[in-house]
Amino acid sequence: MTRRRLPPLASCAAHGAAMLACAFALLPVLWGLSTSFKFAGEVHAWPPSWLPATPTLQNWKDAVLDPRFLRYVLNTLFVVGVSLIISITFALMAAWATVRFHFRGREVLLLVMWSTIMVPGIAVVVPLYGLAVDVGLYDTLWAPALVFSAWLVPTLVWLLRGFIAAVPAELEESAQIDGCTPLGAFVRVTVPLLWPGLVAAAILVFVMIWNDFLIGYSLTLSDENRLVQVGIYAFMTETGVEYGPLCAAAIASIIPIVVLYALLQRYFIQGLTGGAVKG
Amino acid sequence: MSATLERAVISPPRRRGPRIGRRVHPYLLMAPALLLVAAVSFLPLGQAITQSLHRSNFLDLGEFVGLLNYQRFLFSEAGVARAWNSLVFVIGSLFVAMPLGFGLALLLNLPLRARWLLRTVLILPWLVSNTVAALLWAWLLSAHFGPIAPVFAMFGVVMPNPLTSETLAMPALILCNAWGAYPLIMVFVLAALQTIPTELQEAARIDGASSWQRFRYIVFPLVRNTTLVTLVLTTLHTFNGVSIVLIMTGGGPVGVTDVMALRVFEEGFKFYRMGLATAGAVVIFALNIVFTIVYMRVLRGDGHA
Repeated sequence: MTRRRLPPLASCAAHGAAMLACAFALLPVLWGLSTSFKFAGEVHAWPPSWLPATPTLQNWKDAVLDPRFLRYVLNTLFVVGVSLIISITFALMAAWATVRFHFRGREVLLLVMWSTIMVPGIAVVVPLYGLAVDVGLYDTLWAPALVFSAWLVPTLVWLLRGFIAAVPAELEESAQIDGCTPLGAFVRVTVPLLWPGLVAAAILVFVMIWNDFLIGYSLTLSDENRLVQVGIYAFMTETGVEYGPLCAAAIASIIPIVVLYALLQRYFIQGLTGGAVKG
Repeated sequence: MSATLERAVISPPRRRGPRIGRRVHPYLLMAPALLLVAAVSFLPLGQAITQSLHRSNFLDLGEFVGLLNYQRFLFSEAGVARAWNSLVFVIGSLFVAMPLGFGLALLLNLPLRARWLLRTVLILPWLVSNTVAALLWAWLLSAHFGPIAPVFAMFGVVMPNPLTSETLAMPALILCNAWGAYPLIMVFVLAALQTIPTELQEAARIDGASSWQRFRYIVFPLVRNTTLVTLVLTTLHTFNGVSIVLIMTGGGPVGVTDVMALRVFEEGFKFYRMGLATAGAVVIFALNIVFTIVYMRVLRGDGHA
């Protein structure tokens, strides 16, 4: 890409606009960060100051090391793990079947599956609650895990189909000549080549579940089954909420996602744009 | 490859397993995915429709009441106001997020210094959950403890608490929602912009096209479809979203931010009026389809021009 230099005035304006936009993007996060390092007295001081007078780590200790918060994080990771296994396995099977084989009704079945991407969470959450109660999964971590898996499968099928189609079928065929079953050939030859797609898929799974509020709130009840966002909401609605620890917990909940983004930018964008529809 | 071929030719055919085991059944492979999706999307949708036509006794179906729940959700006085609030929330968010996202995409496509850094910072709001975004914005905008109010105070203006002000509550929600929504637009449009060959613009420049003309006749037509896709996504995301409204205002003050999605959530999980909640859910689902079809019409209709 050839890059022209901007004329000085335009360059100044462009950089200025970019700085303003960055300020807008960072403002709420920086304010929360600032609050998270303040003592309770200073949190409620007037006029408020951007820099804590006497910075403290107490809020972070209180929030992040709170056994309840750790529990929420572990719960969320458990749900992510289960959903990863279910959704990626199911999606790989369906994606492979529809890429490599021609069969009657293939397009229709794919369309039926993809049409569910259009069903918003809020439209089904009330019946899902009833369903979870009926089958006895209400207030267990399996209920959100199954719902997330189902929501992710269509997108992952779409994402992984592209990656599978990019692997020549001849590779699988030659493995079959060597004695693999077709499925064995897929698992041994193609799946290891799919890792960029699988990384993007895993990121999508993680972000969707980590940032979810609706399903976590409606399908679990007891404190021991809470997911991260619901936990933060609970901290917030408790009586006598303290903003210092609350902000620390909120900022802490952003960190894993930011770190993942920093490490895996390309796959991250791929996964996130792939999952942009379901919100 | 040749080694494989050789082996295939030389080695005697291996004993193959029983025929059934070796055959691939594509339907069988698709079954788990389809069953799961059906159980979590189609089944509850069907249940929502059934439930919405009946009176509800917590989770049990009561007597059949026809469209009564729909009438109460949509055509009561509060229902009309709520539909209006949803519309304002969606359109307001689009008005802030679309130009912002589109403009920043154009900006990031320029030869700026530290572009990767700008990009990373500007994407940040996308990574933050709506729950945390709402919490942070509520805290930032607080008239008592936030840093905005003192700025107004310097000019002798007493800032009301936006989240409890009838005039400012909705703009505050829109601001927070647009903050979380613009990066998606930015990322999509930027990706589209980067596929435009520079030669195209160079050629137009040499032919004497002004920068506005280049934008209007070359750049914009090529990113139009992407922009419309982001418009659909942002509309649906805003319309279906619960947590920002729930956390920042809870529908108040005096119902000025009471939107449809929040009402479904509260009827379902606060008041346990499942009939009303599912009627609202069906309405929201139908409107999702309507929005998408309308946008797709627009997208396809002018796509050839």
